[in-house]
Amino acid sequence: MQTYTLTEDEQDVLQELMNIAYGNATAVVADMIDAFASLSIPNIRIEKVSELLSTFEQLKSDSYFFSTQAFTGELSGESAFFINEESANNLAKHLELEDEADLDDAILELTNVLTSSLTTKLSQEMQTEVSFSLPSITKLPLDEISKIQSFQKYSQVIVIDTDLDFQDQKIKGKIFILTKDESILWLKTKLNNILEQLI
Amino acid sequence: MTCLVVDDSKLARLSLIKSLNIHTQDAIIHQATNGLEAVELATEHKPDLIFLDLTMPVMDGYEALPLLLQESSNSLVVVVSADVQERAKAKVLSLGAKMHIQKPINELKMKEILEQL
Repeated sequence: MQTYTLTEDEQDVLQELMNIAYGNATAVVADMIDAFASLSIPNIRIEKVSELLSTFEQLKSDSYFFSTQAFTGELSGESAFFINEESANNLAKHLELEDEADLDDAILELTNVLTSSLTTKLSQEMQTEVSFSLPSITKLPLDEISKIQSFQKYSQVIVIDTDLDFQDQKIKGKIFILTKDESILWLKTKLNNILEQLI
Repeated sequence: MTCLVVDDSKLARLSLIKSLNIHTQDAIIHQATNGLEAVELATEHKPDLIFLDLTMPVMDGYEALPLLLQESSNSLVVVVSADVQERAKAKVLSLGAKMHIQKPINELKMKEILEQL
């Protein structure tokens, strides 16, 4: 299996495109739930899936709502959104939700809007298009995260992780964009083309 | 004209400078990768125009903006950011920015910025 790495320039370009995409997606979600989010600098790296699972396990909370949404195209992969129980309850309070089914529905819709806006904008910036599957949601303890089947189909992934942080409402989430192995080469070529056009 | 381009991303700086060079002649362009560097360069060069990103390491754009205007009071500050939330726009305008422009900057947006200033 070939091991890929990102050069400093590739990482810079991807980080900036992600920053643009995330800013756009956050504005959509902020508008949807009528709140203001603080934006942070996205963290980008290539990891083996085993390392990624260990990253997930380091998220400091006992249990999480975890939702994923796959996307396909020249850029294909999966977006994953984690929101801990405390933040989920704060979201329920902020949105005045009455029962657990409503909360699941709200988190799914939040994931759908957030990750599809994010991935759409990211792919637009890379002059390509992606299609989406329906998002799915699971609530699970962190020590069971390695059982998530969807990650087993990857060997290496480009991980773009960033925080969703609505400080006033105490709602925090973590977003991961995972690209499939076959997209990594496509992505590297695309990032270099974008940079070369400017030099 | 002296300009200061502040962004932690090389891509963002290159892209902005390319658009700026199309519409200006003989502009002296300085670059900073965070707010702190920007304040130091603004103090030294007193730029006419500052393009400022918001999300940066060391010192972000919100913290840098009042310091830039304190050190270089005649500078016009254009915030160029991916944060397009209404509250973010209102905040930077209240801090003294002349305008808030959504990233990425292209040739057309740069033309509009320079015409409006």
